[in-house]
Amino acid sequence: MPRQTLDREIHHLQDEVLLLGSMVEQALLNAVDALKQRDLIAARRVYDNDDLINEKRYAIENRVLILFATQQPIAHDLRLLAAIMEVITDLERMGDYAKGIAKICLLISQDDSPIPSREISRMCDLAAGMLHRALSAFISENVNIAYHIPQEDDMVDDLYNEIYRKMVAAMIENPAVIDHANYIMWVAHNIERTADRVTNICERTIFIATGELLEISTSDDEWGEMDEE
Amino acid sequence: MNISKPFAFTLSPSILEPMQKQALSNITIGKTADNFDLVSLPVKMAAVNLSVFYGKFQALNSISMDIPKNKITALIGPSGCGKSTLLRSFNRMNDLVQGSRVEGLVMLNGKNIYDPDVDVVDIRQRIGMVFQRPNPFPMSIFDNVSYGPRLYGIRKKSILEEIAESSLRQAALWDDVKDKLNQSGLELSGGQQQRLCIARAIAVEPSVILMDEPASSLDPISTLKIEDLMETLKEDYTIVIVTHNMQQAARVSDFTAFLMIDDDHSGILVEYGATDHIFTNPQKQQTEAYVTGRFG
Repeated sequence: MPRQTLDREIHHLQDEVLLLGSMVEQALLNAVDALKQRDLIAARRVYDNDDLINEKRYAIENRVLILFATQQPIAHDLRLLAAIMEVITDLERMGDYAKGIAKICLLISQDDSPIPSREISRMCDLAAGMLHRALSAFISENVNIAYHIPQEDDMVDDLYNEIYRKMVAAMIENPAVIDHANYIMWVAHNIERTADRVTNICERTIFIATGELLEISTSDDEWGEMDEE
Repeated sequence: MNISKPFAFTLSPSILEPMQKQALSNITIGKTADNFDLVSLPVKMAAVNLSVFYGKFQALNSISMDIPKNKITALIGPSGCGKSTLLRSFNRMNDLVQGSRVEGLVMLNGKNIYDPDVDVVDIRQRIGMVFQRPNPFPMSIFDNVSYGPRLYGIRKKSILEEIAESSLRQAALWDDVKDKLNQSGLELSGGQQQRLCIARAIAVEPSVILMDEPASSLDPISTLKIEDLMETLKEDYTIVIVTHNMQQAARVSDFTAFLMIDDDHSGILVEYGATDHIFTNPQKQQTEAYVTGRFG
């Protein structure tokens, strides 16, 4: 079968995307764990390790650009490589969200106000699970799973709203916790955005398999990206 | 933000004298951070201030470049830039052209192949050549491959059979022809004939294989098979390929040299570096114009 070089490079890149995804997933889990345990060393590690995530993203991007330039990928190969460019951008941004949670953990380290650990843990597990399965579906090009995963985003959104309401209530009850509660809202926001970006990965999976560029609507679409930047 | 940026580096100093280095000062060698480092690679061959003349016409003007061992080096450039002349000068094929003359050095394992004491037949055994059009001899497949070893004195049939099988296997042709070794080589398809020619070239155990447009007369699938074969062969051989097909150079080679003609219509080396780099971020404007199809 001709195109051994291209095939080998593509398999290698798929492995690298999975590796990048697992680094991001681990960063999210570790950041939330550090927050719950108030573990500053672990939080600092997540914060610093974001550089490794960024480096890997750029290494993959560089490799894809070289393949575009030297191997002339077309059809499925082209869609796959173009999708990888999109997915690594989402993964790197998810890494930034985890880094943001780690930073908040460092910022509120001296504050012993209560953290809604159960809801945050649940959100984190849901988002990490969605990411894990979305990347598996991305590599195996499983369209059914890619369509299904974004539906789980509703559960993440529900938890986000629950945390939001709790934090607003806490602020009203005791204005002294406004800063702390605001940081916790940001933690929840970062996890919620991570889950949203999993949807992008699913969209790219469908693109690779079918050639169709589509947007999978989720229930929080009405907010659009107004809070994104 | 961490962005891997290509950076420039210089040619291996291993075989270059200071004066010769001067001639290289206008050549840009580049690489990407995660790619091969030409400087650190063992050098198999090298042209040093190589000029080739056909009568009064200077076809190549002071070319200096290292050919790294067990890599594929592509020579690209517009028609008439001297890339085939450069390739042919690597195994003294230009000696066959009346009125041709060479200045400078072509080093193989540290020895100038143009030295008077060098046996040109020995050079062509060590540096094989595959041509544009498949040119099997009008004899059987087996005889095509065993022709070279016979020429070098091997007579024992079992050894010749061993060489033939090994060479045909390396050329990814064995499975196609193992049951018809006594058939004429001319009965094979174009792509198979070219692979037979590659098997014939490697049967005499060269260390370098020169390929002059090896796939230009083949269909796309046969072309890709030859390209994959080159990828396999480089584990054992150093390969230099001339191709008009820029995409092919990009696909198969580790390093790319871009040649063009100067104001006197002599071929000059404009840029030489890692293929990944030449096709994503060339350093010279002429290279950029050529690889993007805006020139040549």
